[in-house]
Amino acid sequence: MLPELAVALPAAGSISAALLRARPQAAFSAAAILGLAGVAVVVLARPGATSDQLGISLSLSSESCALLIVAAAALALVVALSPLLVERSILLTWGLAGLAGMAAIAAATSLEMIVLIVIALSVMQAASVGGRSFATRLRGPVLAAALLALAAASARSDGPPILSHLAAVGLVAGLCAALGTLPYIHEFEPDERTATSPIPWMAFIGPVLALAVLMRARELVPSEGAAFGAMMIGLGLLNMLWGSVASWRTEGGAAAWHYSFMADWGLALCGLGMAIADGQRAALLLLYGILLSRLPLYLWSRQSLREKRPNDRPINLLAAAMLAGAAPFAGFAARVLLLRGATQLYWPLALVIGLGLLLWLPPSLRLGRSLGLPRGRQAWGVGIALGANAVIGLYPQPFLALAGL
Amino acid sequence: MTEVAAFAAWLGAAVIVLSDGRRGLALGLAVTTLAFAVLVWLGGEQLAAVALLLAGGVACFKRLRTGPDVWGVMPSGSTARLVLSIGGGLLSLWIATSVMTGPGAPVRFAALSVLALMTARVLGQAERAAVLTALVALALSVAMSAGIADTSPGPAPYIAAALLAVGISVLRVAETNAA
Repeated sequence: MLPELAVALPAAGSISAALLRARPQAAFSAAAILGLAGVAVVVLARPGATSDQLGISLSLSSESCALLIVAAAALALVVALSPLLVERSILLTWGLAGLAGMAAIAAATSLEMIVLIVIALSVMQAASVGGRSFATRLRGPVLAAALLALAAASARSDGPPILSHLAAVGLVAGLCAALGTLPYIHEFEPDERTATSPIPWMAFIGPVLALAVLMRARELVPSEGAAFGAMMIGLGLLNMLWGSVASWRTEGGAAAWHYSFMADWGLALCGLGMAIADGQRAALLLLYGILLSRLPLYLWSRQSLREKRPNDRPINLLAAAMLAGAAPFAGFAARVLLLRGATQLYWPLALVIGLGLLLWLPPSLRLGRSLGLPRGRQAWGVGIALGANAVIGLYPQPFLALAGL
Repeated sequence: MTEVAAFAAWLGAAVIVLSDGRRGLALGLAVTTLAFAVLVWLGGEQLAAVALLLAGGVACFKRLRTGPDVWGVMPSGSTARLVLSIGGGLLSLWIATSVMTGPGAPVRFAALSVLALMTARVLGQAERAAVLTALVALALSVAMSAGIADTSPGPAPYIAAALLAVGISVLRVAETNAA
């Protein structure tokens, strides 16, 4: 019953927060209690055990559990130390809805169920108040859903080998469309609320979705492992290049953060595509970094970006070092593992990735400056995000073991 | 019977693609849902067929209450959509019957054609009523695509899709959104 509760409790928390909107304190308390209960269930869940209580097979893998716990920690951090202009109960409502969706994606044992959950999440997000039109906000996730469903249909049908090749292409393209890891797939409006923007797809739901799709992909097209990995690495390199250069050169500060997520995903896609232990470990550390550090820092930079007051204090340089993947932060350990994995696989790939990593420095300095001078809750938040990232970087093994790696 | 149902599923999807008014959209959705329910029933999943039928019924009822109160089938300037409907249908038919082999070609054709046409409808610059109707049919077609397998997926994906379809139908989209 634990996977069912892992979905139901955060969902109940989100719904209760929405219903009690008129009484923010009650909404916050109810949502926080139910959310914490949901996280406790994920912690207690036995990875790999299948539950069939509702007539649907649900199972949580150890990797998904680890990412769900880290995502919940990121949500708790952002809610506890929320930016001054953001209401905590609203943040918790959206965050718990996303967490429930992520738990459902992680627990689903078929690709079609994942696709249905993606459609449900995208419709909920698109239906809320936002700057972009309803149809525009749906485009990326619906394209992803269609590609993934077509890929699953191709993989399941009898026929010539080209069907399984097409299935592999569809799975990778669908995943990239869902994450928004190709330029212009998700339209980005700098002034839009974070909850209704493409950022949650890339930085909150994305990590769990990517792992779930890859797990199902390995079952659907086991013969296409090499092609699948090659496409992931190719798209990863493209994202590394495009994301880091665009994050450096683009005019808007918020857009620079958006592109920086894309660049980090490039590294993560390379790691996931390698299909060897070091690559998987590197990808997981990068995804931890996106959830626990890059996403909170982006949220805390929003006010400073609006007020256009960049800063060059030591805290900004530390944040820049973390974003660039410098030692002792988690990004550094991830990069070392990635380069080691690439060397094992094909050494010229390690050379290309190594050169690509140099592109992280200029945009990271820019993003670090965009945090402004953090004060009060924001300063505590930046400190905790940096500390957590450094702990993961210095002692990665317990965090990798949490995911069974 | 399955061939007729599969053709009806494509026809319903084509009507959704070609319609802008609430009556045309509801008619298309009703035809597609009924065809899907028949295919699933004949496949031996009676509970799933009833769930699809109920969800489609609710979605059609809700559609008839909102959106432009006209049929709106093939308004002027819809040549491209007509070509898309026919081209998409023919391509799906070729893939389902010639590229993919084995039994279950009608289910494959129904799922692929509706999936492709509804995706095109959502991705095009459509009005909110048309997008919501296409999303309902898309959710149902995703469940149908789970049926393209040697082993039956059971009623779970159909019931999940039916619940999602009802959810989309009763959804209130914020008024500030343009479309």
